[in-house]
Amino acid sequence: MKDLLASLAGWGVNVAIALTALRTNLMRSILTTLGVMIGVFSVILAVAVGNGAQVSVSQQIATLGSNMAIVVPQPDSGSGPPRSTDRGRLTERDGDAILREVSGVSAVAPQIRSSVQIVTPGRSATTQATGATPAYGAVSNITASEGRFLTQSDVGSAARVAVIGETVASKLFPETSPVGETIRINRVPFTVIGLLESKGSNLGNDNDDQIVVPITTLRQRLLTTATQGPDDVTLILVGFEDEDSLLTGQKEIERLLRDRYRVAKGKINPFTVRTTTEIAETTGEVTQIFQAVLVAIASISLLVGGIGIMNIMLVSVTERTREIGLRMALGAKRSDIRNQFLVEAAVLCVIGGAIGLSLAILAASIFERIAEFPAPIGFDTAIMAVAFSAIIGLVFGGYPAIRASRLSPIEALRSE
Amino acid sequence: MTTPLLETHNLVKDYAIGGEIVHAVNNVSLSISRGEFVAIMGASGSGKSTFMNMIGCLDIPTSGTLLLDGIDTKSLDSDALAEIRNRKIGFVFQQFNLLARTSALDNVAVPLIYAGVGYTERRARAQDRLEAMGLANRLQNTPAKLSGGQQQRVAIARALVTDPLMLLADEPTGALDTQTSLDIMGIFQKLNDDGITVVLVTHEPDIAEYAARRIVFRDGQVIEDAGVKSRRRASAE
Repeated sequence: MKDLLASLAGWGVNVAIALTALRTNLMRSILTTLGVMIGVFSVILAVAVGNGAQVSVSQQIATLGSNMAIVVPQPDSGSGPPRSTDRGRLTERDGDAILREVSGVSAVAPQIRSSVQIVTPGRSATTQATGATPAYGAVSNITASEGRFLTQSDVGSAARVAVIGETVASKLFPETSPVGETIRINRVPFTVIGLLESKGSNLGNDNDDQIVVPITTLRQRLLTTATQGPDDVTLILVGFEDEDSLLTGQKEIERLLRDRYRVAKGKINPFTVRTTTEIAETTGEVTQIFQAVLVAIASISLLVGGIGIMNIMLVSVTERTREIGLRMALGAKRSDIRNQFLVEAAVLCVIGGAIGLSLAILAASIFERIAEFPAPIGFDTAIMAVAFSAIIGLVFGGYPAIRASRLSPIEALRSE
Repeated sequence: MTTPLLETHNLVKDYAIGGEIVHAVNNVSLSISRGEFVAIMGASGSGKSTFMNMIGCLDIPTSGTLLLDGIDTKSLDSDALAEIRNRKIGFVFQQFNLLARTSALDNVAVPLIYAGVGYTERRARAQDRLEAMGLANRLQNTPAKLSGGQQQRVAIARALVTDPLMLLADEPTGALDTQTSLDIMGIFQKLNDDGITVVLVTHEPDIAEYAARRIVFRDGQVIEDAGVKSRRRASAE
């Protein structure tokens, strides 16, 4: 315990010596610190932006709805693009069969998607129209923030009604509420019955730039090209009761559809069943790679900062050779000299790291406000930054410090 | 006490300069007892400074034996030599060698850092030494704000702060005027009277007259080693 206190006191002396030396060459110390500061700043910011991307992606996945499978009529082609000849079919009857035969399914929402042109007197907008059933709301957590969502009778009667997203609404009705207004979709008049609750945007993808109309109406009035069959759909969303039934359900859906389309054993599926869990995993991997690349690039500037530290420490050792000789004459051991210069480098780096961290926190909060992109800096990131910069100091200060400690006392003392 | 403070046997230091070997110190055998005041003299290049660096454990002999306080220095590693410099030897240099932009008090306390003495005791002991040197009102002055004589007194206080057995002074008056030199020699004589061994390197014959014994070097060898006949007392001048 006493030894520990003594060694702590010894380090305290080294910090005091280091601060005096750094103050003596204040301008040089500031410039050297700047390198580490910029390095730490960019690494922290890269981590923050990477974290932000992950948050953003998981938010996006949450907007899809949870415990959901998406069935699309195209084969899983692996890495290559899907070949059009393989393109299969998917119908509303497939959806009904899934709801009937697969266990744990809470709702099935078949959809047709089509790009449409909307016109109001004096304004127009191009957006994506989703032909859906009321189940879409339940499966994807979609509700109307104003007016109402689709009902079964809207679908049954192929009513010309639309629920529109906020982006579309603000384009067409910048000042008034759109509910109750008439719009022309691909020249067909529709009544706006509701406004979709905003889902925000993720990574440049605006979730509010869409409209929802009854699937029957879309098929009868808005499709420009004829489908293969009378009830073909673009995709089917399948909602499950819980995560366990989603896992088993994915296989059950595949088996059911293979039966229905009489796919021979050994042939690949002419459709793909993806689950929200899988999507979350793959996008999570992608954002992790994205973050790793960002951090790697930012680390280069930290490396450059470290080399700056090494450069200045070498200059400092050369300039203070006589002081080193004197200290040795007065009884400094090699380890004392080494530690003195190590601490000096570490102090430079920790100061740089702390300033860099503060600037990164500031920049991240400005970034969040301006770009509306989350860039969270956690406590662990902060600790990591400061520890990392101290390590940079020890690594890049190590060589100059060891060089200083290896000097011969008499030669050091004689140097001018 | 029968062991001499310092004993050398056939001490040699060679330097290779331009492919030629120069014997800076060549077969020097002598001993210095506790309480002596020795002046080492010689022209520049005579080997006196090299000899002093070796007995100060700053330089390592090429061959021969050096016994310091009975310890054979040949067997010591760099840490042990550092400890001897710290505990047993106090250095005083011609150019004072004080740390710039550092107060007199902190300068004097430096050897105590390496002796592992705690902050409060360091300050107290450094202050005592400075007060003994008549610098009680200069504790916080940096070297730039002290005269040459004051700086050398700070340096002597620093040399004494670890209570060494021996003071090694290399041309301590070389950068000082006559009156200040006299003051400094007075301090050395008083310290010697109090029992500390003083070894002084100088090329000035009149400075050597303040010592009790004079050793003269030429070409790396001792050519004269005798007591000073008419020793001067700084206090009497």
